[in-house]
Amino acid sequence: MGGLTLPIVTDSLKSVIPVLLIFIVGAVVLELVTYFILSKVFRSRYVLPYTLLAPAAVGLAAFVGWPIIFNVIVAFSNWRLANLLNPSFGVGYFVNNIKAVFTGPLLNTPDSGFFIMFGRTILWTVVNLVFHVVGGMALALLLNRQMRLRGLYRTLLIVPWAIPQTIAALVWHGEFHQQYGFVNLMLARIGIQGPAWLSDGTWAFVAVCITNIWLGIPFMMVVILGGLQSIAGEYLEAAEIDGASWWQSFRNVTLPLLQPVIGPAVALGTIWTFNNINVIFLVTGGGPSEQTNILVTGLYNAAFGFSKYGFGAAFSLIIFAILFAIVAVWVRMSGALQGVYE
Amino acid sequence: MKKNLFALLTVLVLASLVLSACGPAATPAPAPAPTQPPAAQPTQAPAPTQPPAPTAVPPTKAPAAVKITMWTKEGGAQLDEVKALVNEFQSKNPGITIDVVNYDVEKLRENFQTAVLAGTAPDLLWTVNDHAGPFTAADLIQPVDNIGIDLKQFVPGALEAVTLNGKVWGIPLSYGNNLMLLYNKKYVKDAPADTDAMIKAAQDFMKANPGSVGLAWNMTEPFWLVPWLGGYGGKVFDTDGKTPTLNTDAMKSTLQLMYDLKYKYAITPKECDYACADGLFKEGKAAMIINGDWSLGDYTTVTATKTIDLGTAPIPKISGADWPKAYTAGIYFMFPKSESGDKLNAALAFVKYVISDDVQLRFLKNDKRLPSVQKLFNDPSVQSDPILAGSAADLLNGTGMPPQAEMRCNWDAMKPNLQAVLADKMKPADAAAAMQTAAQTCVQSLK
Repeated sequence: MGGLTLPIVTDSLKSVIPVLLIFIVGAVVLELVTYFILSKVFRSRYVLPYTLLAPAAVGLAAFVGWPIIFNVIVAFSNWRLANLLNPSFGVGYFVNNIKAVFTGPLLNTPDSGFFIMFGRTILWTVVNLVFHVVGGMALALLLNRQMRLRGLYRTLLIVPWAIPQTIAALVWHGEFHQQYGFVNLMLARIGIQGPAWLSDGTWAFVAVCITNIWLGIPFMMVVILGGLQSIAGEYLEAAEIDGASWWQSFRNVTLPLLQPVIGPAVALGTIWTFNNINVIFLVTGGGPSEQTNILVTGLYNAAFGFSKYGFGAAFSLIIFAILFAIVAVWVRMSGALQGVYE
Repeated sequence: MKKNLFALLTVLVLASLVLSACGPAATPAPAPAPTQPPAAQPTQAPAPTQPPAPTAVPPTKAPAAVKITMWTKEGGAQLDEVKALVNEFQSKNPGITIDVVNYDVEKLRENFQTAVLAGTAPDLLWTVNDHAGPFTAADLIQPVDNIGIDLKQFVPGALEAVTLNGKVWGIPLSYGNNLMLLYNKKYVKDAPADTDAMIKAAQDFMKANPGSVGLAWNMTEPFWLVPWLGGYGGKVFDTDGKTPTLNTDAMKSTLQLMYDLKYKYAITPKECDYACADGLFKEGKAAMIINGDWSLGDYTTVTATKTIDLGTAPIPKISGADWPKAYTAGIYFMFPKSESGDKLNAALAFVKYVISDDVQLRFLKNDKRLPSVQKLFNDPSVQSDPILAGSAADLLNGTGMPPQAEMRCNWDAMKPNLQAVLADKMKPADAAAAMQTAAQTCVQSLK
């Protein structure tokens, strides 16, 4: 296979540059039109802010707003392979699609129904987030003090975050091989016979969790470390003068002051983990025997393997509703976005 | 005011850059080298003594200055070959420009369906036969019976693999895609005649080379299961071609054999997907592998021959049953339904170039892919090459891979239950029953 050659680079640029120019010219035209209309026609006081916001607003509407609306429309259809070019739309189809999500086997084993996969998704999210927060907190606390080579440690610890997720997941896939993988070879060194990570359902789930925990800790560490460094030393000194132990100081001073940082980070982590298709797809492919599929991987396999777009769209709306509810409850309970409203 | 204007323009440029980042990638990412076998079908490879079939096809009038887009499933070194071929064709046909876009097999299917809906379909597909099922079910491609290429020149089996509802839906550019037994002659002198001999050869090798495996194959994909099923007399569909028949004695025997190879005879890796099996064989850690014709080129490179002295043979006959029947197919050109006029003519000109004798023989030489054109089976380069001769012999035992859309239900139903058997989590009889239920439910949902 050839490397990156000049013709490849020029071919790529030939494709990219016209698109880039279209966007630039489009944005400029949009700005000018907005500016003209607001200033000359409406004589608005907010010409500049609206003009500046216009391209972003159009971009969001086109690339975020419309796909969401389209997804809702598709959920009300019977769109699938057999009628790919002529789908029908109606409320009845939406009801059927929703019913199919909750009643039918989503994949190809009897225990791959919605509720089992939902339970697995919750377990997957909770396990990952707990380890992300605890691991990230521990590392952040270790790094938040004077030590030699702190910069080096910090750099090394964020390496998993810097590696593209796809590459990391594929590497982990190889390392979990029962006979030839690094994990079992290391376990064998200390006299433990490693499990069949990829062909036993339970261990496969552990394997994907380990991979995602490894990938996710650096993010949480960086966020918490930032939070820790923003805590003024006076608070901790005051606690020390009052005779507080390390734990009391951590529990009553550090943690509450970290809340504005941890709250949104956990909310984001919940969304990313709940919807994380990459790690599972690349490490186990949802197998063995569909036993590591979570809702989003199940959705992908069920909907796109057979081009059941109406069903898939309805399924995705259900996932969205669940995730929205979970995050809304968390944000309310934790006060994660309190600072935004105050 | 000037300051404001400058600030405005700066922001404009930045905003447009951000927006452009939100846009779709203009150039699709290259797909990985094929790990998933395609499909196909034929049962009769042409007898070497058959006279050459007629090939006289009137040349298509090449249109002037036409640009077409071709999507190909080829990746890696094969993609480079495709591009070289296109360049060569373009230099001989200055009026035609072909943009080559590469997707892996699954992405090509998904993206083609989406592209047709968006009105941005490519002009030509270079893909596998099992796409014929979904593409015809969705009415996305056109039949090729009267497209201007003489179908009589092709191996009949290659056409069977894209024949649905009495029509042919693709032009074959290679024939095979069949699984076969590949063995390293450094460790196994002669091809085993039956499964007993294969097991013994594997065990002997493992005894002499601790830490190695006798036989490797992709244990996660049912494509590696179906040859054995055929050897036990099983088929995945009833005669109507749509009703799954997976809960049969043949399937139970097949699953039992696969289980025994792993647990009773212990000649396989404990777990292995395609990359694992391929790697073990390339590193000389596996004496034998069951793999497809697409891998022959890889195993005969200068690097590979340092560890591999390749031998090819049909998958060994099952002791007490019949020869395994590997699914066969090939690689095909398919034409979008809306394709017509100058673009269709340009696409046809390229297709005719690819199925010309010279190019077909080049595929044969570079990739060890058997040609789709019948008369070339008699070419000395096929007959005198032991590797190709072994592949051709395997084709004789093969059976066509069903192209219908329902086949996907069978694949998806077999996969998790095969994995459960090989993980010792399910008995073969239970797995066969579970496959049947899952496949039936799936087929029902397609209606």
